[in-house]
Amino acid sequence: MVSSTLLVQGLALGVLTGGLYALLASGLTLYFGVMRVVMIAHPAFLFLAAYLTYFINRVTGLDPLLSIVVLVPVFFVLGVFVQRLLVGRLDPNNMAMMSVLLTFALALLIEGGLGVVATGSYRSINVDYATSSVRPFDLVALPVDKLIGFGIAAVTFVAIFAVLRWTRLGQALRATIQHPTAATLVGIETDRVRGYGFGIGLATAAIGGAVLSIIDPFFPAAHWAYIGKLMAIIVVGGLGSVPGAAIAALLLGSLEGVLQVTWGATIAGMMFYAFLFATLLVRPYGFFGGRLAERF
Amino acid sequence: MRNNRNVALPGLMAMALVVAACGTEELDDPTADEDADQTEEPADQTEEPAGDPIRIGISLPLSGDFSEPGKGVQQGYETWAEMINQEGGLLGRPVELIFRDDASDPNKVVTDYESLITQDNVDLVFGPFSTRLVIPAAEVAESYDMLFVEPAGAAPEVFEQGFEYLFYAAPAVANDHYNYLAEWILALPEDQRPQTAAYAALDDPFAQGTAYGLKDALEAGGIETVVDEVYPPDTTGFTAIAAGIADSDADIVVGGTQFEDSVGLLRAFQDLGYQPDIAAFSTGPTLPEFEEALGAATEGVIAPVGWSIGADFGRNQEFVAAHQELHGEDPDEDAANGFTVGEVVAAAVEAVGCAEQGEECQRALADHIRANELETIVGPLSWDEAGRPQAAHMILQWQGGNIEIVLPDDPEVQTAEIQFPKAEW
Repeated sequence: MVSSTLLVQGLALGVLTGGLYALLASGLTLYFGVMRVVMIAHPAFLFLAAYLTYFINRVTGLDPLLSIVVLVPVFFVLGVFVQRLLVGRLDPNNMAMMSVLLTFALALLIEGGLGVVATGSYRSINVDYATSSVRPFDLVALPVDKLIGFGIAAVTFVAIFAVLRWTRLGQALRATIQHPTAATLVGIETDRVRGYGFGIGLATAAIGGAVLSIIDPFFPAAHWAYIGKLMAIIVVGGLGSVPGAAIAALLLGSLEGVLQVTWGATIAGMMFYAFLFATLLVRPYGFFGGRLAERF
Repeated sequence: MRNNRNVALPGLMAMALVVAACGTEELDDPTADEDADQTEEPADQTEEPAGDPIRIGISLPLSGDFSEPGKGVQQGYETWAEMINQEGGLLGRPVELIFRDDASDPNKVVTDYESLITQDNVDLVFGPFSTRLVIPAAEVAESYDMLFVEPAGAAPEVFEQGFEYLFYAAPAVANDHYNYLAEWILALPEDQRPQTAAYAALDDPFAQGTAYGLKDALEAGGIETVVDEVYPPDTTGFTAIAAGIADSDADIVVGGTQFEDSVGLLRAFQDLGYQPDIAAFSTGPTLPEFEEALGAATEGVIAPVGWSIGADFGRNQEFVAAHQELHGEDPDEDAANGFTVGEVVAAAVEAVGCAEQGEECQRALADHIRANELETIVGPLSWDEAGRPQAAHMILQWQGGNIEIVLPDDPEVQTAEIQFPKAEW
């Protein structure tokens, strides 16, 4: 039978993974909250960042985590451009549906482009600190790479929350989320604000990609495995609510860890979709957010 | 098989289908078809072979999901044709290969073989790549009484269709990949023999087949199974799966893996401080990226492998040299499998003395292959009634950053002694 140490171990690993999910889901939540965009290509950008980290590491020998400093501004600008040039031109009355198609195409483009440039081979970055772990009270092993990932995710998350909560840009973003027309009336340039929102979302993908590159090997089509889980998390968390997404990510991540050590990985993977299904059935606005994320 | 890793989630499948449907339409464009036809002329026609060429029809996935292994197999076929033409051809006649691109599509592969047999009137056919394409292609070959030797398709269902003309030109089907390792473990003296084993397998017929073949053999030998996990292809994190195995502290760990799962599991074992005496993973350790991902942690890791570049079986070294000359790179296992198909068919053709369509000749060829042991670059091969090869894969082990063949204990192939228990990772 499953020992209690194994359960605790599974739970600990699940919490750490949940932190990474929270970081990845926060971007998706922003896109949806700020402009009702369902961003299928978010994990594709995540792996684009992982590949860039890989090549930066290859060429310069720079620590993969330091490439965050370079990638974040690049992805922010990229995000602003994607929003202004592509997403912003979609029919606003049909945004959710059309954005699925557009970002699906973006995901395929990125996947194909990575395949051409970097081939379909697996890539990975091997850093010394990634394969050790700390053992508090000799109870559970906490892998250092996942601890780092969790730490970076937490810092990023707090930063996003602080920006949304206490800056003028954040106020403008929240106003745009709550009522775009009213926001325009009080003088907020909603188009520009939407671009920044998209930029922040992609910047989280840059951070996530750099973290992911030291944890798992990756290949161009790896992003498909993430989009389902992340969609489930933001729906359960309440579409558009950043703290809701974080809570849902931590809860589902922990549950996944526990299920993996008890009922097996197949059930653990299914669990996300079971929650997605149940949420849509019982509480379509999610458990932790308000009606379409009016709260932060 | 190992390329079967593009895992779209159900919600996206509908859209993927729409995209796939658009793609197929383009491929059916009649002008595109001409590009897909490539006729390979024998490189040197002034040499010995004379008379009408023996024409061999082949459909391969040169684009789509399986294009990478598909091109490997094509190169192996080309190397075989080049070698045989330089040596005076087959039955004194030159060999000509006719390739079609099936775009990894099971429907296209059927029409390819139909038209190769009925319109191009080829004398022989060689098989395509992967189980998914081998079964429909073999059905066509069977209905025209054509010998069908194939380079890929090791999954059990290939041999359960009642095909009479199908032979798999590699040492062993998935379940027999670890046979040498199982024999070696069970032959260890009682006080050294491992007592417990843990298994983690990808939910995939090939990957599971390899792991469960070893599991059955070890269980029959009295080694207790303490963990038996299966994970779906879209699994992204392996630490929690590894935690269950680490908790059991099994002496042997066996991964029925492709690539990223072998790396993920191994890194997680390192994280968790789990140190088994034997660690075996399918596929992953056979790829060069394995060391890039894991560095020194590869030390002592074991995997089954069907062909080795250093082996002295049959004409292996001539094959490697000819392949390097023709393609400018070392052959991989897919190319070796293609070459082996050529060797098997050539041996039958030379022995029977015919190469033409028609039940009489083709059945004689199939009967010859079924009744004889043939010398190939992957070792001597023989087959059972259903076309299953009867040998086992060699066992490789990473030692000092190199791949060494440690089993079987045969001077023709063994390059180093097995390291047991393995070094800590």
